[in-house]
Amino acid sequence: MAIANVKVEGLQKSFWDESRGEVRAVDGIDFDCQPGEVFGLLGANGAGKTTTLRMLATILKPTGGSASLNGYDVLADPEAVRRSLGFYSASTALYPRLTGRETLEFFARINGYPANQVAQRVEELIDRFGIREYAGARVGKLSSGMKQKISIARTIVHDPPILIFDEPTVGLDVMAALEMQNVVHELRDEGKAIIFSTHIMSEAEKLCDRIGIIHQGRILALGTLEEHRQATGKHYLEDVFVHEVMQAEDQSAKAKASSGEPGTSL
Amino acid sequence: MRDARVLLISVFAPLVIVPGYILVMQWIGNSEEQRLEDTVYEYALSGDEAEWGGEIVSAALALEANDPDTSQALARFERQQVTNADSLLESGEIHLVVEALSPEAYERSRAEETTTDTLDPEEDEGAPEIEEGSDGGTASELQLPIIRLRFRSNSDFSRRAHDRLDARIREVRSELRDSVYLAGGFPVGREEFASVETENTASAEKEGGALLGMALTPFLLLLMLSGGSIMAVDAITGEKERGTLETLLTSAASRSEIVAAKQMGIIAVGVVVVVINVLNLLAYPVLGLLELPENLAVALSPLDLVLILILFLPLTVLISSTLLLISGYAKSYKEYQIYFLPLFLVFLVPSLAGILPGLDLRSAIALVPIAGVGVAVREIMVAEYDWLFLAIAFASTAAASWWASRLTQRTLLTERLISSSDLDEADLLGGPALFPRHVLRWFVGMWVVFFLAAIWVGGELTLQGQIILNLVVIFLGGSLLMVRRYGLDPRKVFALRPVHPVVLLAVLVGIPAAYLTGVGLSTLVNAYLFPVPQSVLEAFGEVMLDDELPLWQLVFFICVMPGILEELAFRGVLLHGLRKTWSPVIVCLVTGGIFGLFHVDLFRLIPTAYLGVIFAAVVLLTGSIFPVMLWHFGNNAFALIPAHMGWVTEETVFPEWVFAIAFVALLVVFWIIWKVSTPYPDLKKKRPDAFG
Repeated sequence: MAIANVKVEGLQKSFWDESRGEVRAVDGIDFDCQPGEVFGLLGANGAGKTTTLRMLATILKPTGGSASLNGYDVLADPEAVRRSLGFYSASTALYPRLTGRETLEFFARINGYPANQVAQRVEELIDRFGIREYAGARVGKLSSGMKQKISIARTIVHDPPILIFDEPTVGLDVMAALEMQNVVHELRDEGKAIIFSTHIMSEAEKLCDRIGIIHQGRILALGTLEEHRQATGKHYLEDVFVHEVMQAEDQSAKAKASSGEPGTSL
Repeated sequence: MRDARVLLISVFAPLVIVPGYILVMQWIGNSEEQRLEDTVYEYALSGDEAEWGGEIVSAALALEANDPDTSQALARFERQQVTNADSLLESGEIHLVVEALSPEAYERSRAEETTTDTLDPEEDEGAPEIEEGSDGGTASELQLPIIRLRFRSNSDFSRRAHDRLDARIREVRSELRDSVYLAGGFPVGREEFASVETENTASAEKEGGALLGMALTPFLLLLMLSGGSIMAVDAITGEKERGTLETLLTSAASRSEIVAAKQMGIIAVGVVVVVINVLNLLAYPVLGLLELPENLAVALSPLDLVLILILFLPLTVLISSTLLLISGYAKSYKEYQIYFLPLFLVFLVPSLAGILPGLDLRSAIALVPIAGVGVAVREIMVAEYDWLFLAIAFASTAAASWWASRLTQRTLLTERLISSSDLDEADLLGGPALFPRHVLRWFVGMWVVFFLAAIWVGGELTLQGQIILNLVVIFLGGSLLMVRRYGLDPRKVFALRPVHPVVLLAVLVGIPAAYLTGVGLSTLVNAYLFPVPQSVLEAFGEVMLDDELPLWQLVFFICVMPGILEELAFRGVLLHGLRKTWSPVIVCLVTGGIFGLFHVDLFRLIPTAYLGVIFAAVVLLTGSIFPVMLWHFGNNAFALIPAHMGWVTEETVFPEWVFAIAFVALLVVFWIIWKVSTPYPDLKKKRPDAFG
C-alpha cells in the first residue's frame, strides 16, 4: 500500500482569544492512515481532536501545515476531499422532516454518487443496516438508535474510501456503542481508511490499529497498542495515556521554569 | 416545507385574514357612517346676539334641508334651550354651541382668552364673521356682530356637526353678500360671475396607474420579505439549530452551490407567497365581494408588464440574498428575528420613494437601489417614463443585489458559520485579526462624532478649538483607542518606517504639482459638473486670510497638525485596517473617499478625496507614512501662505499650461516613487479562495 489515503503533516490551527491571545488548538501534528486501517485519535476533551478532524473535512481552514485525503489537498481541492470522505460526528444531525430513504437519496446525490445507481445503493444500505421497517418514516419521529443507523448509512452512502468518526459513541448506550464498533470493524475489513477519535480508552484499545495520543494540540505518542506498551512499560492503555500526558506536562513545566516563566502546577 | 403549520401561517392565514380584515373595516366604516347619519345634532345658542344668531342658523338649516344633492345624507339639527352651553358641550351633552356676539362682547372675550386658557383649544379662530346691514365698509368700522362655533374635535359627532353647520353658514353669508352686491347695483349675479369649471385631462387609467404604481413596489416588497423570510430563516439559522449544517458542509456540494440553491429556494417561496396573495386580493373584487374605488382602472401593455417584471428581478435577488445573509449571521431563530425588523425598515423606506409627491430629483433617485425601482414602476404605470431612467434604476438595484449576493457568499464561506454553532465566538478571531473587520465601523463612529461635534459646538469654537477637537480628540484619540483595543503594533499601524531619501525629494516636487493639478481639476469640475457657489469659495478664503492669528499659529494649526494627525488616522490606522480587504487600487479610492467625507462639506469632498487617494497611493508605494506627512504639510502650506500673504487672491487666474505642467510633474513624481518603492507589507494577495 504505497499511497497513504490520509496524510497529515505539521497541521496547525490557531485561534485568537480576547483574554488568552493566540491559542493553538492544533499545534503541528503529523500522522497518516492507510486503507484497511483504523487510526485512533485518543485525547481528553479540548485536546484538539475535533478541530483536527474538521480541518480534514475542510470545514475549518488550517493556519499551517498540510493535509491530503485520497491525494487531494484540503486547501487546494476541498470539494474533491469531501467527495472522498464520509464524516460522522455527534453534531452531524439529520433533517427531521425527511424520511430515512429520502435522507439517503439526498446525500447520495449531493455527494455526486452516479444518479442511475442511487436507488439501488440506497436499498442496499437499507437492507444492510436493517432499517427497512422505518425507512419511510420521517427521521424526526424515530428513536435515537434508529437515527444512529440512518446516520451511519448516510455517512457511507456515496461509498467514500475514507471515513472519519468523531467521537461517534458519545451519548450512546452500551448496545448502540457496540453496534457502532461492529460497523467500524466491518468498514475496515472492506478496505476503508478510518480515522476514529475518542476519549474512551477501552474503545481505542479494542478498535484501533494504531493510536495517536493527542494532548494540547500535539501528538505525544503514536503507534500500535503494543508499541505504546513497550515504550512506556505500562500494560493498560489508560496507564499509557496518563504516563504520556504527565511526562508532557513535566516537560512543559521545566521548559517554563528554565525560561524564567512561572511554572504550572500539576 | 412539509410543516403544516408553516403553510398554514404563511399561505392560508393571509387568504383568510386579509379579506376578513377588509370586510370588517368596511363594515365598521359603514356602521359608523350610519351612526353619524342617524344622529340628531344638538346645539345651543349663546352670546348677547343669540337671537340674531338663531336667524342665521335657521337660514343655514333651511339650506341644509332643501339641498338638492342627495349623495350625502342630510344632517338634522335640534336646538336645545340651555343656559350653561359651554359646560354642556364639554360634558358631551350637546354637540355644538353657536355663539353670536356683538363686537364689544367679542372684543371682551378675545381679551379674556389671551389672558386665560380657553376651554377649547381647537376652537375655530376663523369662524365666520357675518356682516349685517346693506352698506359697504369693513366689519370693524360697521361694528357688526360675530358668530363663533364652538365644538370638540375629539368627538366625531361634534366635529361633524361643526363641519356641516360651518359650511352652511358660510353659504348663508355669501348669499347675504351677493344680495348686498345686487342691491348695490353690481351688474351680474353670483352664478355668472367668473364661473370656474374643472376638467381632469388624465385618463382613468393614468389616475389608477398613479395610485397603484405608488403602492405596488412597497406592497410586493413587503410580501416578498415576509414570504422569503419563511424559507430564509430555515435556510441557515434552521440548519444551525437542528445541527444539520455540519452534515451539509461536509458533503461534496460546493459552498457556492449551497448558497445558490438556498437563494433560489427563498426566491421561489417568496414569489409563491406574493402570487398567492396578489391573486387572493384580486379574487375579491372579481367575485364582487369587495367594491373597488371608482376610476380604478389600469391599462398596461405586455411590454409594460415585462418591464415591471424585469425591474423587480434584481429587487427579488437583493431581498433573497440579504435574507440569507442575516440567516447565516444569526445563531438562532430568535437572533434572526432581531435582525429582520431593521432590515424590513431599511428595505421599506426606499421602496416608498414612489409615494413622495412631486419628486424633483428623479435622476438622483434612480441611483438609490430599491427607491429607483419604486419610482420607475410608478412611471411605467402612468405610461410616462424614459429608458435612461429605467436603465439606471435597474442598474443601481442590480448592482446592490450583486454586491449583496457576493457578500452573502463570502459570509457563508467563513468558518464563523460552523464554528459559531458550537465554539465560543472569542475563539474565532480577534485582536489584530479582528481589526480589519471592525475598522470601518470605528470610522463610521468617528464620523458621527465629528459630524455632531461640528453641529453642536462647531460654531462656538475658535479655529484652534475646532482643530484641537477634530484632530487631537477625534482623530488621534480614536486611533489610539483602536491601537489599544486590538493590541496593534503602533509601528506597523502608523507605518512608521524609514524611507528612501529620493522619495522625500520627489515629494517636494509633488507638493506644488499635486496642488496645482488639484486646482485645475476643481476648475474643470466646477465648470462642467458641479458648480461651487461663490459664497463657499469666499468663506473658505476667509480662513486663509484670518488676520487675527499670527502666521506661525496658522501654519501650526492648518499645516503641521493636520499633516501629522490626519495622516496618522487615515493613512495610518484606516489604511492599515483596510490593506487586506481590497486590492491596493480600491484601498486607495476608499481611504481617499472616506478622507473626503470627513471634511463634511459637499464642495470640499472632491478635492480632499483627490488628495486622499494620492496620499494613500504614496503610503502603499513607500510603506511609510513620513513622505505623506511632509506632503500634507506642504500642500496645506502651499494653499495657506501665498493666500495669506496676498500673493494670490480669488481673482488670480492661472494660465492653463501651468496645470498641464503640474500634471506632468505629478506623473513624474509618481514614476520616481514607484521606481524606488518599498511596498507596504502584507497587502491583499491575489489568491483564489480555497474554500470556494
